[in-house]
Amino acid sequence: MHLKDPDPSIVARRAEIAAGLRAIVPDGVVSERAGLTAYDSDALAAYRQPPLVCVLPKTREQVSAILKFAAEEGVAIVPRGAGTSLSGGALPRGDAILLGLGRMNRIIEIDYDNGCVVAEPGVTNLAVTRAVEKNGFYYAPDPSSQIACTIGGNVAENSGGLHCLKYGLTTHNLMGVELALPGGERIRLGGKAPGAGGLDLLGVVAGSEGLLGVVVEATLRIRPTPPLTRTLIAGFRDVPQAGQCVADIIAAGIIPAVMEFMDRRCIEAVEDYCAPNYPRDAAGLLLIDVDGMPAEVNEATARIMDIARQTGAHDVREATDEKERARFWLGRKAAFSAMGRLAPDMLCMDGTIPRRALPAVLARMAQMSDEYNLPFCNVFHAGDGNLHPLIIFDVMKPGELERAENFGADILKLCVEVGGVLTGEHGVGVEKRDLMGVMFDEADLAQQQRLKCAFDSARAFNPEKVFPTLSACIDSGHMHVKSGRIPRSNLPRF
Amino acid sequence: MAHINAVHETDIVDAVRAAREAATPLEIIGRGTKRGFGRPLAAMNVLDVSGVSGIVSYEAEELVLTARAATPIAEIVAALDERGQQLGFDPVAWGSLLGTPGEATLGGVVSADCCGSHKLRYGAVRDHVLGFRGVNGFGEAFRAGGKVVKNVTGFDIAKLVCGAMGTLCVLSEITVRVVPKPEKSITLAVDDIAPRDGFALLRKIWSSPVEASGLAYVPDGARVLIRVDGAPQSLEEKCAAVRAIASAHDLKEWDDGDALFANLGSGAAFVQTAHDVWRVMLPPAAAADFAGNISSSLWWGDWAGGVLWIGLKKDDIAAAQNLRSLAAASGGYAILLRADAQMRARVGAFAPEPPPRAALTRSVTAAFDPLGLFNPGRMYEAV
Repeated sequence: MHLKDPDPSIVARRAEIAAGLRAIVPDGVVSERAGLTAYDSDALAAYRQPPLVCVLPKTREQVSAILKFAAEEGVAIVPRGAGTSLSGGALPRGDAILLGLGRMNRIIEIDYDNGCVVAEPGVTNLAVTRAVEKNGFYYAPDPSSQIACTIGGNVAENSGGLHCLKYGLTTHNLMGVELALPGGERIRLGGKAPGAGGLDLLGVVAGSEGLLGVVVEATLRIRPTPPLTRTLIAGFRDVPQAGQCVADIIAAGIIPAVMEFMDRRCIEAVEDYCAPNYPRDAAGLLLIDVDGMPAEVNEATARIMDIARQTGAHDVREATDEKERARFWLGRKAAFSAMGRLAPDMLCMDGTIPRRALPAVLARMAQMSDEYNLPFCNVFHAGDGNLHPLIIFDVMKPGELERAENFGADILKLCVEVGGVLTGEHGVGVEKRDLMGVMFDEADLAQQQRLKCAFDSARAFNPEKVFPTLSACIDSGHMHVKSGRIPRSNLPRF
Repeated sequence: MAHINAVHETDIVDAVRAAREAATPLEIIGRGTKRGFGRPLAAMNVLDVSGVSGIVSYEAEELVLTARAATPIAEIVAALDERGQQLGFDPVAWGSLLGTPGEATLGGVVSADCCGSHKLRYGAVRDHVLGFRGVNGFGEAFRAGGKVVKNVTGFDIAKLVCGAMGTLCVLSEITVRVVPKPEKSITLAVDDIAPRDGFALLRKIWSSPVEASGLAYVPDGARVLIRVDGAPQSLEEKCAAVRAIASAHDLKEWDDGDALFANLGSGAAFVQTAHDVWRVMLPPAAAADFAGNISSSLWWGDWAGGVLWIGLKKDDIAAAQNLRSLAAASGGYAILLRADAQMRARVGAFAPEPPPRAALTRSVTAAFDPLGLFNPGRMYEAV
C-alpha cells in the first residue's frame, strides 16, 4: 500500500495552522512532535503517520469553526473517535488536521417516551447502554471494542457486533444525526420521527467512513432488554455439518441473538489458554445465544438443540447457570489472545460470504494455507456469514509478512468470488481500498465517488481512504498485529 | 410522447442514453400503481420497466432474495410464503387509494417507501434492501451494496434509493433481506380509550419486550389495537404480558387483526372518500397532542404514534400548510400521499427542506442524474 507523501507546503505552515486552531479551541490543540506521536495510527498499526496537527473540540460550534478554517486554509480533515478502527479509517496524514471528537462525550438526552438516546459523537458505545440499563433498555449494536469505541466512529464505520443478525448494524439503530459538512455548515438528518422525510441521506452517512461529514450528534434507538438469554454450544466432527446446522436453524424460522463458529485450531488454542470446556475432538463449534421472552426462548433453545443433534453434533450442551454461560463466552472472547500465543504476529481478516459457501471457503483457505505455508484459524459470525480468519506468522522471518498479506488478499478475493463482500464490519479504510476493484467495476466506483463529491467537492475529508488511487495495484487487506503487541491489546476484538 | 418498453437492463441503458442525447426526461413506471404520488410531472416520455420482472434467486437459508425491479410484490410474497418467510418491511399497496389499482412491484414499493404496520417490529424498507443494480443518468449500468446480510463495503447507496421516488436511477434488480414468517398473530383491542391514554398505552407496550408487530389507535370506537405474533406458546406469553401492561383496561381479542392492519397501511378508509390524504411522521410521544390539534375527524395512528394518517378537506391549501408547520413544530414532517395534481403542484408531496439540506439534496441527485432525466420534479420542484 502506497500512501502519498505529505504536501511539504502545508507541513511548512504547521505553526500557523496550529495557531489558527488554537484561536478556536484554546485548550485543545496538539502540535508538538511528541504529542502527535500518540495519534499516529488507529488500531491498524501497520500504517503510521503523525498528523499535521491534532485538534480536540468540545462543542459542535467549535467543530464548525474548525471545518470552516480548514476549508479556507485548504487543509484536509481526518476525523477520529477513539482510534479503534481496524481498517485504518482514522489513520492520520502528515498534511491534514486530525479532528479528535473524544471530548464531545456528553449524553444530551435520554428520551424513553420516544425510545431513543441523543448523544455526542465521543460517547462510547457501552456508555449508551450503561445510561439506560437501569430502566431495562440497551443499545443493540455491540462491536467487540464497545468499551472504548465511540458512537461517532460507530456511525462512520456502520459498526456491527455479535448481535447483527437479529438486531442489525449501527445503521438499523440510528435514527438521526446532526452532521457538519465540509466548510462547517451543519444539517440535521432524521430524528425522533420515523423515516427520512426526503432522500435518505442518513442511510448513506452511516458507514461513509468519515468521507462525507462529521457527526456532531446522534439519535440512537434503544430497545427493551430481553428478559431471558440462554447459551448453548454444539461440537461437530465435520465443518459442513455445522454449516448445515446454521442453515437449518434459520430455515426453521429461528433467528438466534448470536451464532458464532470456531474451527478446530481455534478451539484447541482457547482450550489451552483458558479452558472454557469446549469439545477438543470437534472440527467446528457453534456458540449460540437465544434471547427474548421466556417461553419463546425455551422453545427455540429446545428446537436448536434438536436441530444440532439431527445435523450431526456429537456434543450439545446448554449452559446450566450464569457461571457456565460466562465460561462458554470467555472462550469466544479470548480467541484472539489465545491465537496470539501461537505466533508473534497475526493478520485479522473481515469478509462476508453466503453461509452456504462456508465448507468450500474453509477448504480453499486450508489449501491456501498450505501453499503460503502459513497457519490460520477461523472465527465466524455464522448467522450473518461474516468471516474473521486469523493468519499466523512471524514478521522476523524473511518474506513471511508479504506471504501473510498475499494470503489475506487471496481470502478476501475468494469471499467476493463466492458471492460475498470485502468487509462485513471493519470497513474499507486504507486497508482494503486497493481491493475495491475486486468487488466493484469502474462504473460502480465512479458512482460512489460522485456521491463523495456531492458532499465534499474539495475532497478534503479523510483523503486516501476507501477508494483506490489510479496508480495503486491490488494489495492486501488485513489487520496487522506487530510482534504480539497489538494496539489497544486490552480490548476484545472482532 | 413516446412509451418505451424495457425488458432487460440493456434496454434501460439504451433508453437512458437516447434520453440524454435528446435531452428528454423520462417518467419511470413499473405497473403504474403510484403514478399519482409525488409532484406532478410534465408530459414526457415514459420508460416502462414492467417487463424487467422475475425472481432471480431466492435462498431461504441465507435470508436473501434477488428479483428484477418490476417483479410484482405478490409473486415475491408467494415465493417467500412457500418457505415460511416474508418481506420484513410489510409492503403495502397504495394503488387503490391513489385511484390506480393494480399489482405493486418491488421497485415501486422500494422507491416510494411503502411499509405497513410490521415496520415497528422488523424495520422499514431501507433496513431490508441489501443491494441493487440500476442505470444512472450517465447511461451507465452500476451496482451498489451486496447480496449478503452484513456488508459495509463502500457507500450504502442501497439505502439512498429507498424512498427516492425514482429520481436517482432506474432500478433494474434489487436484493432484499427477508425474515421468518411468524406462525400466528393475535390482535387485542381496548375500546373507549381517549387518544392521550391510548397512545401512552401503545408506547408502554412498544417499550416492553413483547415485540408487537402492530400498535395502532383508531378514533372509530376510540380503540387501541395491539398485534403480537409468534409460535403458539410464545403468543400466549406475549398476550399475557400485554394484558399485564394494560391491566387497567378491558382487552378483547379482535378477529381479523391482520386484515385490519393491512387496511390501515394501505389507507383503505380513504379509498371511497374525496379527502386529501396525508401521512404525518412524528416522534411517537407527540402523536396524541398532534391528533388533538387537527381539525379533521378522519385520522388514525400506527407505529405506536410514529405515523398518523390524516384526511383533510380536498384542495384546502391553508389546512395543508397548517398541517405542515404543525408537523415540523412537533419534530416530524408531513407527506401528501393523495391529492389532485394541482394541489400536489401547489404544496408539494414532500415537505420543503431547509436551504443547506436542500442544496445537498440537489447535489446528491445531480451525482446520479446530472441532467435531471429521471422523474424530474417528482420529489421537489428543483430536483
